[in-house]
Amino acid sequence: MLQCDFIFRLKGILEFACQLDNPNGVQSQSTISKSFQDLRSKVTSKNIVFTVCNSPVLIWPNTGFQSSVESLTEASACGDILQWIESDDGGSKKSSKKKDKKKSGPTVVNMKLLFEVTEPAGNTAPSLIRVSTQQHCVKMPLPLDCALSVTTDERLETVCTGLVEALNKQLADMEEVVLQYRKGSSFLVPQPFHFQLPEPAGLITVVYPAGVPDSQLQAVREDLHRKFELPCDRPYLRRANAFHFPDAAYKDGYLRNPHIHLNPPNIEDAKLYLVQGVYSYHHYMQDHVDDNGWGCAYRSLQTICSWFQQQGYVETAVPTHTQIQQALVDVGDKEPRFVGSRQWIGSIEVQAVLNQLLGVTSKIMFVSQGSELATKGRELANHFQTEGTPVMIGGGVLAHTILGVVWSENTGQIRFLILDPHYTGGEDLQTITDKGWCGWKGPEFWDQNAYYNLCLPQRPKTI
Amino acid sequence: MGRSYFVDEAVGEYLSGLQAAPGSCVTGLLAGQSSPQRDFVVLAVQTPHRESEGQLKAPKGVSPLDDIDVEWVTEHAKQVSRMLPGGLCVLGLFLVTPPELSKDAQNGLKRLIFAVEKYIIKGRLWELSEEDVTDRVTLHICSKTKKLLCKTFDVKDPKSSAKPADWKYQTGISSSWPMLTCSVEVDLQIPVTGSSSDNTDKCMKDGLRRWAKQIEAAYCLINGRQALDDSELISGQKKNPKTTNRQTLPARIFVSDEQSELGERSSALVQVCSGSMRVRGVVHCRAYIHNNKPKARHAAQAIKRDIINTVCSRVEMFLEDLCINEGSQKGLCSGQQALPRRVFAPMPISGLSVCDYMFPDESTADVAERLKEMLDCETPEEDIDTSLENNQLFSIISGFEITDSQDDDSSKHVSEIQAENHKIQKPPKYYAVGSGRYSSFMCGPCSSHCSPCHSHISTVFQLMEKAKMFV
Repeated sequence: MLQCDFIFRLKGILEFACQLDNPNGVQSQSTISKSFQDLRSKVTSKNIVFTVCNSPVLIWPNTGFQSSVESLTEASACGDILQWIESDDGGSKKSSKKKDKKKSGPTVVNMKLLFEVTEPAGNTAPSLIRVSTQQHCVKMPLPLDCALSVTTDERLETVCTGLVEALNKQLADMEEVVLQYRKGSSFLVPQPFHFQLPEPAGLITVVYPAGVPDSQLQAVREDLHRKFELPCDRPYLRRANAFHFPDAAYKDGYLRNPHIHLNPPNIEDAKLYLVQGVYSYHHYMQDHVDDNGWGCAYRSLQTICSWFQQQGYVETAVPTHTQIQQALVDVGDKEPRFVGSRQWIGSIEVQAVLNQLLGVTSKIMFVSQGSELATKGRELANHFQTEGTPVMIGGGVLAHTILGVVWSENTGQIRFLILDPHYTGGEDLQTITDKGWCGWKGPEFWDQNAYYNLCLPQRPKTI
Repeated sequence: MGRSYFVDEAVGEYLSGLQAAPGSCVTGLLAGQSSPQRDFVVLAVQTPHRESEGQLKAPKGVSPLDDIDVEWVTEHAKQVSRMLPGGLCVLGLFLVTPPELSKDAQNGLKRLIFAVEKYIIKGRLWELSEEDVTDRVTLHICSKTKKLLCKTFDVKDPKSSAKPADWKYQTGISSSWPMLTCSVEVDLQIPVTGSSSDNTDKCMKDGLRRWAKQIEAAYCLINGRQALDDSELISGQKKNPKTTNRQTLPARIFVSDEQSELGERSSALVQVCSGSMRVRGVVHCRAYIHNNKPKARHAAQAIKRDIINTVCSRVEMFLEDLCINEGSQKGLCSGQQALPRRVFAPMPISGLSVCDYMFPDESTADVAERLKEMLDCETPEEDIDTSLENNQLFSIISGFEITDSQDDDSSKHVSEIQAENHKIQKPPKYYAVGSGRYSSFMCGPCSSHCSPCHSHISTVFQLMEKAKMFV
């Protein structure tokens, strides 16, 4: 993947407004297009200004590049902008945070779109224009959101010109979506989503109509998959697949992918096979549910469900303990009194619930002794390579989640990346990684005499 | 510890020169700027004489204090506040009484100051912030001894009692006050739902209010620097009272279309309207800020408030005028009409400027008349600056239909045939061109722009009362 140091993200609201005499008439489409044309003129006019968030920097991109800060000129590299930005912790962005063991990806520079209302072209005093025909007055805020990936030495001026072009293109895309989904005077707000696609496409933006579920946008995605030459068996462009900007916090408070902060064990001749995509860490005591001692398999199941949700396969929320239990009753696996109990579940139940609630099928792998797990390197490596889903493993009296293996085909040496649902503390990444609640374990981790069942969820073949 | 009012010496001269008829009172306004630490008074204007109408008002109470025409004083205050650029406002009132009435003067002043404040803020599109000073000054002058008694009332609290305040004279208080300027492009599309004229007013107010919020939230640069925080407006400047150079600081305003009520919508807001109104053009704005270590954001606030006030005032004046011209037909007509444009003139004494609004068929003579009446000062016509806003290119009377897809070039329509617009009905003899109750009128009987035409003014007021101009 091409190294990209920066993502410049420009956001702003532009109000779309038009007056329609007859929303169902033939004229209305051209009236709507004219309004979009006016908005495109607005963003190419001299009046637009980019402000860099948390900084005194203002840039006028359409006046041959002017900025409010003398040292930033057309020739400046875009990285120069960093010295002007105050980061939230008060220090300059150059001081590295000691918490992150690894670099967390490109630096995001957030910008906001503004319009200057001073320095007008003329100075004719205002008039009042009154129209008294019956009209439908349409107003809609367009949530513009453009992102550009660039390297440090890219010129700031080029970035700004690129952002103006992106605004123009986004308005054209929005016009298309608005016209396509309009019914009379009912207009759907066009919403932009960013997706990080494999190179060479990189960071792209797609506009979807608000309120239309992903299931109804299949044809749109098929076109885009063809256009960007994406595999046709896994989702890349569902709303849940939207790119998560490195500087944005997750509103639900769960940790994402704590494993990326760990260094894999250094085993000679071994390769790394990891879960693909994003999951949330679910564990004991979360969501005000005291499941200490009995809920570990439920939590592992929740982690797996979170994976399917965040990869865009399902839109339903991660199920609660009660919902999981109800699902088992619904499929006839358990009696109704199971709901509300503190009974354990195993891999078979996990498989059943994934099928019932998410429509996901899973393979079950049976291991008669814990010591045998060390020999399952190839199967697990294959699983992570093709499916890349988290694996739930239950045996003895414990359940865990396997997120990956380091395995040598030659020597057979193996290590397991384990996410432990038995953790009862808060969402403290430092503790979780230091104390091994997410950590690499050797084959001795398993109860050598107990038998184990593994549930290996399979990706549905869909986009 | 009370407030301190630093007052220009020329104001003192004006106050000493006031003539009160024996046994009667003189009321008037005090204008200037308040800051958290101290207040500045740069202008004093006595309440203009109001010709009484046919019915002679019998003296109501036992004292001339009761005869003070509160309505008239508040109207004068409103007219004057429209003439003040940003940063300046009506700070209080003065009252000259004969010695025997001095005791009761305080009550009279209290009544007046609350009434004035209430009337001035009516229709205003911005709210006072936490930091705004809500103390207003009342100055009592004894006509015999010339003794001054200065007190303040907190107009936020109707139960507040008078607090003592200092009244200090100084020369050239505002001579070095920086002046912020900008010209702002306004283009507001306002849908009109319903068909009555009340609806039109309400829709207009709502539309303007939304725009005002945008301006208040806007990003502001003053003299090239951000005006956000507590940083000083002019850093590193030595305060030199001897210098009379007034700095002009250009302001730049940047808005975003973010509207919280449209927020997280998934579909467009569609209203069925009986029509729409569009306010379009450029307004020239000014604000002054004191030079006692002013903060950048207070300066930004002052210029933003001026932007909002100037658009609001013109629209108000225009709609009031329309009320007389069209009566109940207002809001049903089509057309493009010029809003009154802003002109500036030097203020008496302080070297600051005041403004006024000129309808298209008025001249600087009319403006001069109004300045004389409202601000009690003679202004040579050549000193009135009409160059800051250009005259609109068509007359107030022409009307023509405008369709959906109107293009931007309004000058093309000047040569349009003046459409017969039967809906605009002029009242038989008079029509008002101007604002508020005390306006400049084109006087029917003598067909001249006498503003005001004193010999006919009583009849005009009767007409205005009929048209329900008084609220």
